[in-house]
Order: sequence, then structure tokens, then C-alpha cells
Amino acid sequence: MNDYIDALGLVFQGYVLLAIAGGTLLGLIMGALPGLTAAMAIALLLPLTFGMPPVMGVGMLLGTLCGAIAGGSVSATLLNIPGTPSSVATTLDAFPMARSGQAGRALGIAIVASFLGGIFSAVVLSVLAPPIAEFALRFGAPEYFALSVFGLVIIASVSKNLAKGLAAGLIGLLLATVGSDPMVGSARFTYGNMSLLTGINLLPALIGLFAVSQVLADVVDYFKTEKADTSSTPVDKASPRWIEVIKHWKVVLTSSVIGTIVGAIPGAGGSIASFLSYDQAKKMSKTPEKFGKGHPEGIIASESSNNSLVGGSLIPMLTLGVPGEAATAVLMGGLMIQGIRPGPTLFTEQGAIIYGIFIAFFVANIFMMLFQWFGIRLFIKILQIPRKLLMAMILVFCVIGVYAVDSNIFNVYLMLAFGVLGFFLNKYGFGTAPVILGLILGPIAESNLRRALLVSGGDWSVFVSRPISLAFLLVALLFLAFSLWQNAKHKTTSA
Amino acid sequence: MKKTILTLSVAAAALSSALAFADYPEKNIEFIVPWNAGGGADNVVRALQNPVEEALGTNIVVRNISGGGGAVGFSTAVAAKTDGYVMTIPTNATFTLEGLGNVGFSYTDFEYIARVLVEPYVLAVNSQKGWGSLEELVNDLKENDRPLMVGASGVGSSTHIMAVALAEELGVHFEVVPYDSGANAVTAAMGGHIDAVVLNPSEVVSAIDSGRLNAVVTTGDERSGALPDSPTMLEEGYDFSISQWRGIAAPKGISQEVEDRWVEAIQAAVEDPEFQRAAEMMGSDIMPLYGDELDAFVENTAQLMIEEAEKLAQ
Repeated sequence: MNDYIDALGLVFQGYVLLAIAGGTLLGLIMGALPGLTAAMAIALLLPLTFGMPPVMGVGMLLGTLCGAIAGGSVSATLLNIPGTPSSVATTLDAFPMARSGQAGRALGIAIVASFLGGIFSAVVLSVLAPPIAEFALRFGAPEYFALSVFGLVIIASVSKNLAKGLAAGLIGLLLATVGSDPMVGSARFTYGNMSLLTGINLLPALIGLFAVSQVLADVVDYFKTEKADTSSTPVDKASPRWIEVIKHWKVVLTSSVIGTIVGAIPGAGGSIASFLSYDQAKKMSKTPEKFGKGHPEGIIASESSNNSLVGGSLIPMLTLGVPGEAATAVLMGGLMIQGIRPGPTLFTEQGAIIYGIFIAFFVANIFMMLFQWFGIRLFIKILQIPRKLLMAMILVFCVIGVYAVDSNIFNVYLMLAFGVLGFFLNKYGFGTAPVILGLILGPIAESNLRRALLVSGGDWSVFVSRPISLAFLLVALLFLAFSLWQNAKHKTTSA
Repeated sequence: MKKTILTLSVAAAALSSALAFADYPEKNIEFIVPWNAGGGADNVVRALQNPVEEALGTNIVVRNISGGGGAVGFSTAVAAKTDGYVMTIPTNATFTLEGLGNVGFSYTDFEYIARVLVEPYVLAVNSQKGWGSLEELVNDLKENDRPLMVGASGVGSSTHIMAVALAEELGVHFEVVPYDSGANAVTAAMGGHIDAVVLNPSEVVSAIDSGRLNAVVTTGDERSGALPDSPTMLEEGYDFSISQWRGIAAPKGISQEVEDRWVEAIQAAVEDPEFQRAAEMMGSDIMPLYGDELDAFVENTAQLMIEEAEKLAQ
């Protein structure tokens, strides 16, 4: 208890609050730009924090992390550019809603849902971190494999046409095999290109499939209609939609739980959390057929889960000293430079600091919500730019952002190729989200399948003899059946 | 008029290149990290950034050029101008990439300026499995003729190569399970899904602090500052000593002045208390080497790592 009071004293100082606010603001801006990931935003701010006291420096970086994730959903909503893989699911409903002239509503929902998700994960982080970390350790290769199979089943749920969705998912899985073999290291489909050795970089694929394909579609549309069209998307009143989100509290709660837990399992491919939640919300919904056309529940599910993911991902990093993905890895570097070594001893020996980190995380979430609350009117102005100018700007930002990923021009070509692919996939109703799911989950499924078999000596029974693995596989089957049934039912009612 | 401007600018350019070495550095220096932000090497560079910037009086711009396990970034660095404005961070990966045959450069294409940090490789076993020491482990493996499931941080990584070399030296069989990061390998070992890991101390200290893993042996010349209770291979009676290291290098052909300026800067940086604290937290030992001693060290380590990597590549 004393530690908590000391910690409050560490956080509630003018400069510390200022640092957290500054970090959050910068994170928001960087997150909204395509290509600048949360990891990169933190790395850029890292040197600034060296001279600061630990809680101040870490608070600033936590603010950056929260801000960057939240900023990603602004560009996802307004421009169909998922700033981070976790905001892909947000584009599915937020962008159609914004397109129909309700950008203010879409952002308003996203802001409230991210705030609630973030606060939920902050509570879980402060209260339940050690037992959740313990649970995460029970995940071995068979469990990761089963989890990714479970994730792949979502393809059925995010596709408008099942056969076409599965085909797009297979394209993703196929592309995921490019790069060095995860177990023996031989190069696959790289054709001597060094940039492909680590596989297809997710970010160029993401931005190509979503943003560039959208620009291409808009250009075609533009020439088809009237060339003199200088109009922009109409916008509505921009303000947070507290009541609308709280009405769907069940979606907020399940999505936050999913986000926190997936975030806490290192290496589970955190970005699938928002898809899992989206899928879950669709299954629980009374109106599943509205998903994908600008349905508020879809935005709520994706946003509350991708922000609860942040708190979840801090759990293994702080309690076990293992960062689950790039952003927490950079954050952990920042902690170590501050003289804080994550791990169980942090809780026993440096109580005030760890509680200070928890409180700073709460504060960062509050700042994130406030900045977005006031910023929403500014964000929305972007849609008042005439379409034809906006399209050109988006393309420029995409090229810069993607080049910045690795300072590698190859990624820009990759992005353009994926843009063309995405354009045709959308045009013929295949959809692009399944490709991304395949790309994210393919490597996790493959490497863990082979890892599991290597450890078991080639015995396939490990996947069903281990309870968590078996449970995921069974639920995957169940969900697949449910999706097929929901699809069939929808078809008969609409026909 | 145009002509005068042209002549003037040509003259200015000639003058500035003549002065470049006298006033090095006169612009920002690009530092290529061949891995993503958040990796071990990246953390080191970011910790060095402030003190080195202060010593050189210029900005260091860190560029993460990842891909191919470091291949893309190192290739970019090798191909850069030799004016001293592009630097990179050599490690054992600089050598193993050559040994694996994936790259077009050789370790001799770099000018090595300094070795800054050293960290040994450590064999850490899951504490629940009942191996208290290296001897117990080796005896148990030999008696029961069973393989040890050992996680490493990626296929072809220096930890993978070191796991294979360790097994050979100990005369036992390691089944090396490559993970996509050191963190994921540690998690699997903590959960008991595999028996052990071969990694660098920074990646396992938290797990060892918590008692979930037990570091049975390290591979350095001396005990690691981060793991003072773990014996070295030399202490255990094996003639085996090799460590991971991180330093500063430039493409071959930089001037002596540039090298001298960097050596001075690194000498100042390693005295910086904030850098020292960061190094301690990262589980690395500050063991700087420069000049001839460094060249000898690079030569030795390169031969060893390339040889081991070539074995793996076959």
C-alpha cells in the first residue's frame, strides 16, 4: 500500500505529467502516419528519456505506445490506412461508416472504445499481471499452432463470399512461405533477393492491400464519374459517442478480455486480437449481416481489443522480462537503459517504480482519450480536402512511410504490387482482410507446427493430448461450423 | 553570372572536401543497425547515442535496416562511401553471415574501429528438470542417451551456431529448436516446453532471477558480470571460449583521422555513467579494444565463427 502512495507521488508531478502528455501526443501523430509503427515511435523518443527519472521516462514511452496504437485507428477510419496491423479490423466497419458521411460518429465510437479497452487492460495489468503471466507460460508450440488455426477460421467470418474469402486467405498463406525456412534456413521463393530473406514485410503488404488499393479504386471511380468532381466526403458532428458505446458494453468487455489475454501471450501475433474480437462480436450480434458495412459493433470490438492489447503486452514484459513484440521490446530496452530490469524482482524490490509504471499507464490512457476528444475536429478536416488531392497525398504518405520501415526501396515496390493485387481482390469480391490474416498467421502456424513435431519427435498426438491445444482446435471447428451456418442462414433470408 | 556561381561552388566543394578530415565530423553521421528497433544491438546503439554525440559534437542518425538476419543492413554499410559518415555495429553475425554463404561481403570489407561490449553465450536449463550443474547435465544425457531440446534465437543465428558447437565440445546431442526471437525461446524454456536455451545473458537474466532457469555454463574468458554464479567452460575443464561482442565499424577505406576521432569518442562514451548503467542492465560487460589488439581479436573470432557457420550450412 505504501508503495502505491509513493508511486502516486512519483507520477503526479508537473514534469512527469507533461512528459506523459508529450509522449502520448507524439505517439498519436506518428501512429496516424502510415509506416511509422509504435516500435519506431518509441525508438525515436528513447534518447530523450535518458536524462529523466525512471517513472518520467517510462511514462513518456508508455504514452507514446498508447498514442501510436490509437493514432493508427484514426488513419484506418478516415483513409482506410491501417497504421498498424492491429487496426486492420477497424477499417472493416469504420471506413465504410466514414465514407457514408459519418466520419465523426466512426471516430467518436473508436475513441471511446479504445479508451475503455485501454483502461480495462490497465486494471488487469495492475491487479492480475503475475497469474496471467503464469498462464501465458503454458503456451508451447502446439498451443501456438492451435491458436493460429483458430485465428485462420476467422477468415470465414470476415469474408462476404466464403469460397472467395478462403481463396484470398490461401493467397496470404502462400505468400507467407516466402523467405528463409524458419527451421532449416534455406531460402524459399526469394529469387536471390536479399530483402525477401526475412519474408514479405507485413507493413508494405498491409498498406498496399488497404490504402493503395483504395486509392486505385478511387481513381478508377473518379474517371468513370465526372472528372470535374472536386467534392470531398461529407462529414457529420465530431464528438465522442459515450452512450452509443456503453450500450454495447458486452462487446467492449469481451473484446477487452480477448485483447488483454492475446496481448499477454508473447509471440501469439498480437494483431490477431482485434480480428478475434471482431469475429466474436459478429457471432454474438443479433445483426451479423450488418458487419462490414459500417456497423458500430464492429468498430467497438476492434478498437477496444487493440487498445487492451497494449496493457496485455506489458504483462509478460514486466513480469517475466520477455517482450511479446517489437514495441514492447523497444520499451524494455528503454527500461533497462533507465536502470530497471523487468522481471519478478521488479515487483519485490522496486515496488514504487512498478506501481508508478501502472499509474503512468492509466494516465497515458486518459491523455490519449482527451487528446483525441479535442483533436477529433481537426482529424476530420482531412476529409474536407478535395478527393483528388487527398488521393495523391495518401499515395505520397504511403510511399514515405513504407520506405521508412527499413529504408529499403524494395518495400515500396512491394507495396505497389500489393496495391494492384488488393485492387483486383476487392473488385472481384475476394476481400483483402483474409490475405492479411494468412500473412500474419501463416508463419506462426508453420513454424510452431514444425517446432512442436521436432520436440515431440514427430508424434502428432501432441496437438490433441494437451488440453489448451485441444480446446482451441475444438472451438475452431465449432466456430467454423457456426460461421457456415450463419452464412447459409443469411443467404436464405436475403434470397 | 551563372558561370561565377558555378566556379565558386566548385571551389567551395573542393575546399570543403579538403577540410573534411580536419573538421570531422561536420554533418550528421548515419549509423546503420542491421536489425529492427528493440533488438540487442539496437539497444546498445541507442545507449551509446548520447555520449558519442556529445564526444563528436554531431548528431547520430540511427537507421534500422533489417532483413536477412543482418545481411541487408551490413551489405548497405559495406557499399557506403568511406568518408566516415556511415557507421555500423559489427557482431558475430557479421562473420556467421559470411560462413552461411548468404551474403556478398566478407568480414575483411569492414574497418573495425572498436569493440565496446562483450557478452558470453550461456546455456540455461529449466530449473524443474533437475540438472544442477553442467556435469550433472552431461552425465545424465550420456547415461540415458537422450537429446537435449535446446532453443536458440533463430535459424542460422550465432546462438544457433553456438548451440551446435557447444554440443560437439561437450560430446552430447542437442536438438536445436530455432525460435523467431530470443524472447520466444526463453518463454518456451520457462514453460518447460523445451529443456534449455543457448542465448546471451541479457535475454535470460530475468528468467534466472526468477529461478525458472538455471545458467549451468557460460562461454566467456571470464565469468559474466550479469551471471557471476555461473562457471565458464574453461573452469569446467573444456578448452572452449567464445563470446558475442558489439562494436563500431565502417566500410573499409576510412581515413586514420576518422578512426582516431571515433576511438576517442568511444573511449569517452564507455566512461559515461549512464552508459555503464545501461550496459550492466543489459547484461553486457564493457571490454573495449582498439587498434592492433582489436584486429587480432576480430581475426580470431572471425575464423572460429565462420568455420562453425560453414559446418551448419553443409
